[in-house]
Amino acid sequence: MKKRILLATAIIMMLALVFSGCSAAKQTTEATAPAAEVKQENLLETIKAEGVIKIGTEGTYAPFTFHDKDGKLTGFDVEIAEEIASRLGVKAEFIETKWDGMFAGLDAKRFDAVANQVTIRPDRLEKYDFSSPYIVSKAVLIAHSDNNEIKAFADLKGKKSGQSLTSNLAEIAKSNGAELVQVDGFNQALDLLTSKRIDATINDSLSFLDYKTQRPDAPIKVVAEMDTKDEIGILFNKGNQELVDAVNKALADMKADGTYLKISQKWFGEDVSK
Amino acid sequence: MDDRMARVIGILIDSFIPILKAGLMYTVPLTIISFFFGMIIAFAVAIIRVTNFKPLTAIVKFYVWIVRGTPLLVQLFIIFYGLPTIGVTLDAFISAIIGFSLSVGAYGSETIRAAILSVPKGQWEAAHALGLSKFQALRHIILPQAIKVAIPPMANSFISLVKDTSLAAAITYTELFQVAQQITARTYEPLWLYLEAAFIYLMFCSVLSVLQSRLEVRFGKSGD
Repeated sequence: MKKRILLATAIIMMLALVFSGCSAAKQTTEATAPAAEVKQENLLETIKAEGVIKIGTEGTYAPFTFHDKDGKLTGFDVEIAEEIASRLGVKAEFIETKWDGMFAGLDAKRFDAVANQVTIRPDRLEKYDFSSPYIVSKAVLIAHSDNNEIKAFADLKGKKSGQSLTSNLAEIAKSNGAELVQVDGFNQALDLLTSKRIDATINDSLSFLDYKTQRPDAPIKVVAEMDTKDEIGILFNKGNQELVDAVNKALADMKADGTYLKISQKWFGEDVSK
Repeated sequence: MDDRMARVIGILIDSFIPILKAGLMYTVPLTIISFFFGMIIAFAVAIIRVTNFKPLTAIVKFYVWIVRGTPLLVQLFIIFYGLPTIGVTLDAFISAIIGFSLSVGAYGSETIRAAILSVPKGQWEAAHALGLSKFQALRHIILPQAIKVAIPPMANSFISLVKDTSLAAAITYTELFQVAQQITARTYEPLWLYLEAAFIYLMFCSVLSVLQSRLEVRFGKSGD
């Protein structure tokens, strides 16, 4: 008897699975069908119609995109994206993913745009579009305080540098002859560096400053700065010019009316647009 | 106590509840649901294989071959990021459940198959002699004995599934370890927060170990 009940439960559960599978599939087709129709107009109109722009971001890269003490997603990039969204008359919905899933997520249209300190680069422009720059960043070379061998980018030759493989910073390390050690993000790189398992890491000067504020005692130092500055923009799939234009207009307006400067001052105490 | 230690302890206390909450709200449901569907798949596949039900044997062998032969992380990426390109967009939770269930199903099917085969052949013959059909024999004679054998290894996969679910962070599912990572991003104390996350995983798995012992007692003692 007991076994029969067990068997019956199993069958019901299995049916539930099949059923929920079907209904889930149906829901997605229902959800995608009207979206596909709208898409024949353009993504900007879809976003306005839905009232939401979906933005991919890491959520683990302070002070650009991270969670505050209360667990709320915040940061410079997050606030810029929220401001852009409100100027488009929609809400920003953030979808958090790891950096190495960021491009895949955009390709799969899991989100409409990425706000995550993405450097505008020629090879990326072949496949994606960027907004006009909303921050310029300077890459710095970070080494352990005890390390006296690494004084310039050229000293990276044959040394281990911890980088996210698909990032722009990894390219700088590689072009200086460093051996790349793959990390998940800035925090892992710093962890490897303080424990001397890598010799250096290249990252953004502003992130480094944030880290030093949090951990003034950490045994790491900046040994060199890149001469060139990187421009950073919001990343989009190609073919959505209307959306890119609208975002650019929002950015220009923010800069003109002082909102941009306010956000910039809040996070960095300076204007980071130049 | 110096400042550094005080700071670390403060961070650990503040972060304990958020990490535990992520575990209870995301890691635990994902684990339980995936294991449940995984077990259904595992039983179905094992039974198809031991009864050698021809039309399906090739299909299930192919399934086990693919799932065991490719990394779970790659499977999750394909389900979550790959399928939308052919028009199938599933949310992160569903994608994770599919990925983990398929994985548990493939590995579990071998465990259950082995458990069924561990029942002496004489039991099949005796059942046959009593006039039971193959399926009746399986249900009433073989499976009750096989389950006893299967409990320890299945508990093993359940426990390792708890920890494997951290892979779901790669497909935007914010589970226990991802929350620890988020707090690390703000506080820059990776070592301490990872230890804390490890401790919470250990708590969950300890509960499962206790359940395993209970289950073993219930299905007839396996050890003594």
